Amino acid sequence: MYDHNGEDVFVIDAHVHLWDAREENITHQGGEEFIQCFYDYHTTFTPEEREWGIEEYRHYGADRMLEDLFAGAAADMAIFQPTYLTDFYDEGFNTTHQNAELATEYPERFVLNGSFDPRDGEAGMDHLEELHETYDIQGVKLYTAEWRGESKGWRLDDEEAFEFLEKCVELGIENVHPHKGPTIRPLNRDAFDVKDVDDAASSFPDLNFIVEHVGLPRLDDFCWIAAQEPNVYGGLAVAAPFAQNRPRKFSEILSELLWWLGEDRLLFGSDYAIWNPDWLVEAVMEAELTQEDRMEYGVEWDLETKRKVMGENAAELYDIDLEAKRRTFQDDEISQQFDLEDHYASGTPAAAD
Amino acid sequence: MSVDSPSADGNDPDGHNTDEPAVREALQRVTDPELDRSIVELEYIDSIELDGPSVTVRFTLPTAWCSPAFAWMMAIDARDAVESLPGVETARIVLREHMHEDEINRGVNERLSFSAAFPDADGDVEAVRAELDEKARVARQYDAVEALLEAGLEPATIVSLRPRDLESVPGQPDESAADAYAIYAADRSFAVTVPAEPIDRLLEKARETGVVIDPDDVLCRTPEREPIDVASFDLVHKRGRLARVNMSSQGGICDGLRESRERRLERPADD
Repeated sequence: MYDHNGEDVFVIDAHVHLWDAREENITHQGGEEFIQCFYDYHTTFTPEEREWGIEEYRHYGADRMLEDLFAGAAADMAIFQPTYLTDFYDEGFNTTHQNAELATEYPERFVLNGSFDPRDGEAGMDHLEELHETYDIQGVKLYTAEWRGESKGWRLDDEEAFEFLEKCVELGIENVHPHKGPTIRPLNRDAFDVKDVDDAASSFPDLNFIVEHVGLPRLDDFCWIAAQEPNVYGGLAVAAPFAQNRPRKFSEILSELLWWLGEDRLLFGSDYAIWNPDWLVEAVMEAELTQEDRMEYGVEWDLETKRKVMGENAAELYDIDLEAKRRTFQDDEISQQFDLEDHYASGTPAAAD
Repeated sequence: MSVDSPSADGNDPDGHNTDEPAVREALQRVTDPELDRSIVELEYIDSIELDGPSVTVRFTLPTAWCSPAFAWMMAIDARDAVESLPGVETARIVLREHMHEDEINRGVNERLSFSAAFPDADGDVEAVRAELDEKARVARQYDAVEALLEAGLEPATIVSLRPRDLESVPGQPDESAADAYAIYAADRSFAVTVPAEPIDRLLEKARETGVVIDPDDVLCRTPEREPIDVASFDLVHKRGRLARVNMSSQGGICDGLRESRERRLERPADD
């Protein structure tokens, strides 16, 4: 829980990975370019003294991840968003199965998402059903720019994609997280075009579409679509670290998002291990909107808004009872491992308000 | 940034003169299409070399993996801008430190099409350019409308503004370019003076994108290119602000990536 001037804020990091970009796992030049590109983003928006070396960045492993997320209680829970990239990486880059190593060991701390790729046809449909059956997934992360053989990407409004979205409705997988963000070398930028979300969101009103990276560098298209589709949400991964070294830009982006989407449809995510919640949560929590932006947009980054964006909105989408979680965390395995029992026992529960 | 000019002025046999400042001035008009900012201002230009009627321009982008389509547009535009100068016969463009520098340099200097230079690229570079031009128009409109509001014009006047309503107010008697425009209110009861620069920038993009073809076309439009209904003036203006914020945010990412690359390149030298 983040201690914000004496108030506890429950933090759900809604975008984390457990990836493997070791050289022996890379089978295509694109795999090396991909991790190098991630690393450029890491160094660009990480305080210099918190930068990792490229070797630990390729593969940090489950123990390191637990420590980064939970040892200092930077996050209370996290949501795994898989990125398969099986054309680039032998065992995949960050698959649901890889993420399951931690998610199944600490189910009270992690939400495990699946994925689908409509180009996989019948086999893909089977895979989605298997993920649902094995892990009871409630969400899918989608990577429309992923390469598959000759294809350099797909669209959410493709007929085949709609069949998979219908399957999601049928299985009760309500949360769809398309990656719509910056170009990641060597992927084709146009496959990150955000406009296909529009048609999918209006065709599937029972599904929630959490657009990861708020469409940057297409924030304008994203906000305009979200303003019209009430089931479109924004995932703050990539926008969040602006808080650290581009505070005025962060203020502007957040003001736009709050103005177009409101405080109920934004979810914090670190994109771990691109950035680390052990410094990023604080950077975002302590960020302030400039006086100019507050006047111009008429929005606030106050305690109530922070509570929603940092945890409550994700809890709502994934049916997480935050008070019950807090009680569980008073003596779960993670709290025992990192001596956090007092952390979750202390403070005053919501009843005091 | 360094500027090498082995031949201070490239006098060609026909007597035309081109010098490094003229080349730089020509490049000033070339923009990074995603940011709608000049590649000169963005400090992408590494060097300009003149050798008689031949000019070589070297440039570097913020990262090695900037979109090849954008890199291509900048290289083509730089080539064409420099070759439009009197006295320049050929411009050679050298993109450096980019994943696709070979394809781009060969394509641009051998005058190939994008699809010939990148046989496995999907999508049409001109469609991407057109989309970014529209966004640049919308963002520039935000700046122009801010200036018009600041000058005291009402939304009703702004949405009906046409190029023919702009009356130049030259700043210097001997300069033809306007420093400001005088614009009359709808009922012609009074005129206000508006700085020319944001209006000219909007006009330029409005013409490039074809929403303004003749002096009677309405200048301000929705992102979908339609004239603006005065009832939706505020919303359209907020969409303009959003386009502006999107561009400057991407600019923040590009600046950051470039700084980080520079830091990394500096480090080995410290050891």
